[in-house]
Parts: sequence; C-alpha cells; structure tokens
Amino acid sequence: MIVLLLVFVSSIERAVMAFTTVGAVARGGARRGLVGTSGFAKLRTDIAGGLFKFLILSALLASLLILGVLLIDTIVSGWSQLSTRFWDFLNGSLRSRSIDDRLGVQQGLYGSFWIGAIVACTAFPIGVGAAIYLEEYALRSRLTATLELVIRNLAGVPSVVYGLLGLFLFVERNTIFGFIGLGWLVDATGGRSVLSAGLTLSVLVLPIVIITAQEAVRAVPVQLKEGAYGLGATKSEMVRTQVLPYAAPGILTGTLLAMSRAIGEAAPLILVGAISGGLTNNPELWDASALREKFTALPIIIVEWVSERGRDPGFADAAAAAIVVLLALVLLLNMTAILLRNYFERKRD
Amino acid sequence: MLCLKLRLRPVLQFLAVAVGFALLLGACGSSDSEPTGPADPEPSVAAAPTPDESSDTATLSGEIFVSGSSTVEPISVRVQELFNDVNPNVDIAVDGPGTGDGFALFCTGETDISNASRAIKSSEAEECAAQGVNYVELQVGIDGLGVMTNANNAAVECVSFADLYALTGPEATGYQSWADANAVSAELGGAGNLPDAPLDIFGPGEESGTFDTYVELVIEKTAEARGQAHTTRPDYNPSGDDNVILGGITGADTSLGWVGYAFASNAAGVKLLDVDDGESGCVAATPASIASGEYPLSRPLFIYVNSAKAASNPGLEAFVDFYMADGLDRAVAEVGYVELTEAAKSDVRAVWTGRS
Repeated sequence: MIVLLLVFVSSIERAVMAFTTVGAVARGGARRGLVGTSGFAKLRTDIAGGLFKFLILSALLASLLILGVLLIDTIVSGWSQLSTRFWDFLNGSLRSRSIDDRLGVQQGLYGSFWIGAIVACTAFPIGVGAAIYLEEYALRSRLTATLELVIRNLAGVPSVVYGLLGLFLFVERNTIFGFIGLGWLVDATGGRSVLSAGLTLSVLVLPIVIITAQEAVRAVPVQLKEGAYGLGATKSEMVRTQVLPYAAPGILTGTLLAMSRAIGEAAPLILVGAISGGLTNNPELWDASALREKFTALPIIIVEWVSERGRDPGFADAAAAAIVVLLALVLLLNMTAILLRNYFERKRD
Repeated sequence: MLCLKLRLRPVLQFLAVAVGFALLLGACGSSDSEPTGPADPEPSVAAAPTPDESSDTATLSGEIFVSGSSTVEPISVRVQELFNDVNPNVDIAVDGPGTGDGFALFCTGETDISNASRAIKSSEAEECAAQGVNYVELQVGIDGLGVMTNANNAAVECVSFADLYALTGPEATGYQSWADANAVSAELGGAGNLPDAPLDIFGPGEESGTFDTYVELVIEKTAEARGQAHTTRPDYNPSGDDNVILGGITGADTSLGWVGYAFASNAAGVKLLDVDDGESGCVAATPASIASGEYPLSRPLFIYVNSAKAASNPGLEAFVDFYMADGLDRAVAEVGYVELTEAAKSDVRAVWTGRS
C-alpha cells in the first residue's frame, strides 16, 4: 500500500509538472483567440461527444479516487505517530525500535532541506542560463537540434543512473580516460555527504529545469522582443528587461517542481551513500559545516522503515507518518509554485 | 509597452523572486526547526544519563562508520543509541547495504566496523589482507532461519534437510507439486511423505545474506555429493524484501518459504515448520533451541572490527568495549535477535580483550 502510494505520488507529481508547464505556455494562446469557436455544434445532439466527456471524466475521478484511498490509508496508519507526538516526531532521529520516544524524521528533514537548497543554488542558474542560450543565442543549426534532443533524452534517464554518476564522480575516487583524476571532487564534497547528494540531484533535475525554462522563454511574445530592439536595446538588454521578466513565472514554476522532484528521490541517494540505520550527527539546520558530513534524507528514512517493518511492525506506522511529512513538504512546494506563478502572471499582464 | 516604461524594474522583480525563493526555503526549513527549543529531547537526554563510566569516557570524541549486513544493522544502531547516551560526542553512522557490500568497503579501509550475517569469505579475507586491513571477528548474536508455510497448510509439520534439498535445490527445477520431490528426498534418506499439493516457493534473492546462509546450511553438502551446482532452483519467487516473501506465503495455501527467524516469528498467517537435520529429529524454531544450537537452521551474526583503527581511535575502542558489554547483554535481545549463551559471551569478550 505504502509503496503504491509512493509510486502514485511521484506520477501525480510528474503530471502536475507537465500540466503547469503546458498550462503556462497554453494560457497565452487561449487568450489570443482559441476561445471563440463556433456555437453551431450545440444544435446537434452529440452522443459520441457526451460519451467521450463521460469517459475522460471517469478517468479523472478514478485517479482521484485511488489517490484519495491511498492518502486516507496512509494518514490513518501514520496517525498514531502524528496525533500523539507530532513535534517529537518532527524533532526525533533514526532509531532501532519503533517504540522509542526519540524516533523521528529531523535528520531526514534537514538532509532534504540541504539537498533542496543545493539543487536550487546549482541547477537553477545553470539550467536557466542554458535555456536562454539555447533559445535566444544559439544558431538554429543541426548541432543545436541534436543538443536539444540529448537534453530531452536526459530528462528521461532513470534516476538510478544519475545515482551511479554521482557515486562515480563525488563519492569514489576515480580517474576518467586513465589519466584525469577526480579525487579532488571527492575531497571537495567529503565523499558520502549532503553535498554529493545535492550535486547528484542537481544533475538529475538539470534537464527538466532547462526544458521548462526553454518553454517559458519560447512563450515570450516576439512583439515584446522586437519592441525592445526598436527602442535601441542590445540583445543582452532585451533578454534582461523583456525575456527574463516575462518568462519568470514559468521558469520559477519549473524550478520549484524540479526541486520537489529532487526532494522526493530515493534511489540516487542510496547509491551516493545516505545513511539508513543510525546517525549520531544531528547538527543545527544552519550549520553549513555539516554539508560535508554523512547524512540521511526523508525518502531514505521511508525506505528504511518500510523495510524494517518485518522485524518491528511498528515501523509501518512510522513510515506512513514520514510519508505524510514528505507529502506535506512536496505539496507545500508545489502549492508555492502555483501561487507564485499566478501572482507573477497577474502582475505581468 | 507597459513593461518598457521602467527598464530596471523587471530585473529587480526577478531578483525579488530569487530572494523570495530563498526565504521560502528558509521558511519551510525553520518551521520544522523552531519548535526544537522547548521540546528538543536530544541534548537534554544526552546530558542526563549518570556518568557512571570513568570521567574520560564522557569527553570521548571521534567518528565511527559502521556498514554491512542489514540484518545486523538494528543491533549496531541500538548499541549506538545506548553508547551515545553516555558518550554524545562520538559521531557514529550505521548503514546497511548488505554483508558483501559492507566487506567491500571494510577492506578498502573506509569503514571501521563491518556488520556481517555470515563469516567473512576467504576471497574477502584475501582482499582485506591485500589492502593491509587486519580485523577482529566478534560474534554478537544468533539469527535463525525460519522455514514457513501458510497457516492453513495442515499437511506439513516438519521438513528434513533431505526434503528441503529435494524441494528447493537445483534438481527441483520445474517441480509444481510438493509430491514431485518425494523421489529425491527418499534417495537422500528423507521420509518421502510430502503431500500432493501445489508448490509455491518464496525466498530471499541471491543478493541476500539469508540466501547464502540457506544454500550453505541446506543445499551445499548434498549438492556437492550429487555433483550439482551450489545454489537453489532458479524457478522460485525471489525477493530482497522479507515482507514480500511473507506476503507470498500468506497468499498461497500450500506455499513454502524461508526468511530470517526475527522476521518469521513476528509474522501473522504463516506456520513455522520444524526442521530435521537428518540426525537429531524434528526441532521447533524457538529462541531456546536457536541459542543452544539445537535448531539446525540458525546462523551467527558478527561484527568485524578494523584492528588498526581500534588502536588509533579511542572512541572506536570504547564503542566496541561497550558493544561487548551492553550490546551482547541488552541490544541483541531488544531488537529481536537471539542472545548468545553466557559461555559464548565470555568467549567473545576474551577474543576482544585478547586481540593483539
């Protein structure tokens, strides 16, 4: 049940991502004249159309129903932890027994927080920069087309593969081509550390950030750009004053959604060496020296507790509670993304 | 046109977005951390335990990295918890990727202690020797393998090693019914009275230490004598997740499966079968029969300590000292495994204190 829910949540997350990206682009189009189609169709009795509407509506309701059932089931199982010791659960740590009153997810919350922060600080500027270059500066050549194809394919690569890349680059001391040593990378990240995990997940979400930012940049009306040129702006001025502000809502949405994807990933973290069993180290949230220390993250805690529930059945409830916490965090991020998008779209228009 | 009025404003807006984003990050982080003030249990409890150890242990510090078997992981985590109550400044991380992966890290010197649900293999010992890693092997507890069937299956109460080899060994490939195994079982001196019922087998996958132990205890000797490969039949339902195995067994009325005893004893809807090693008759799996070694399907749980690191890291040495005391006496049973007998405990302690 719990595993199903995880799969389901991640698929919903992707659907939301697709929806908001498409939505941001499509809105502009809808406003510009797709609205007023002919009213003649209403005169005929449209049986096929009604059936189609019923089918797609039931598809929506079925998926909502499944989500609802899973959500309620998870919240019910997690309730014993969340209702009686909510703050203790948020402030507790990894423990060996589910009855321990210091059991909780704080280490995972902090780990996930830092991973999100690192993704925001690295994938965001690189991704937006790459998108603007591809859309505004790159020549429409075969090379550019190939590059875009590669980026789109990279967005579909399974996350475990990125985990292997992270393991190779940031955790193990490797050499590429037999002579380019990567040991300095390991020295910089501290091996099995939050920094390695954050950088790995940055690489994972980079293609998504680039693609969503590209879509947003592409949706900037050409009149705005030409207006800027007409007033004597240089290309970089045009990008700074027209393209970026107009595309900001779309870029922001894509980035926040990519970040919530990063926060929900477990497989790459397992490879990069997130600790699953027990961890003494529990530094303050703002203690940046912990970046190069061993860490754990919310999805890892969920995986660990789900697998421990055979030995100690109480961990099933703890895992459900941790899922609720992760779900709340991801929903909060997604909601912020949508609110921010709406706010900036209103402001822009 | 509207946007062109102020050329700077959009840039500022964009910056504001970025700053807002950073604040948001801070907000969702600090909302989780703010309540730590009054209710944070970590520092207060860490300071509370009576420092009955000598005064210098309270100021111990250092880092310890424990990896290896996910079966032994809970024991080491429990010891870490108890140890940190007394010595909060020793940073310990306990991970559980598996016995084999653990030894790979241990032999490169990355970990200080390797948890293992089997003894080190000679190939792994050679690897450690080649890297100059010397170690002390310490048995900390016992885990039994539980052989199980569905709780509704009244036809089977006890299986012999001969039956198990005939049902799950390489020669059983393709068997659809329990009765198919009777011929081979009889050849090996088994009773050959298995029922004619559908046979659905669930067990740990090859990557699991439990798989290795099962092959070693049940299959290896007979397979050697009969010129067969040292493995199980390939056509069963393998899983790395014991819960999936339990689910399979409870889902089929005449199923057969095996998992670690700690898992099996807590499971509902399954029946633990008695096991006969061919010499001492049917023995039920109970904590007592496992501790005494009477139950044939039990396995020792070990920790391997890097000797050089124990000598140079006082925190690690104190941690293993603690493991040998409270770990053996308390942690093993608390997380659901079988404690060593008193005699075995003193043997293990002697190995640790007598290390060179």
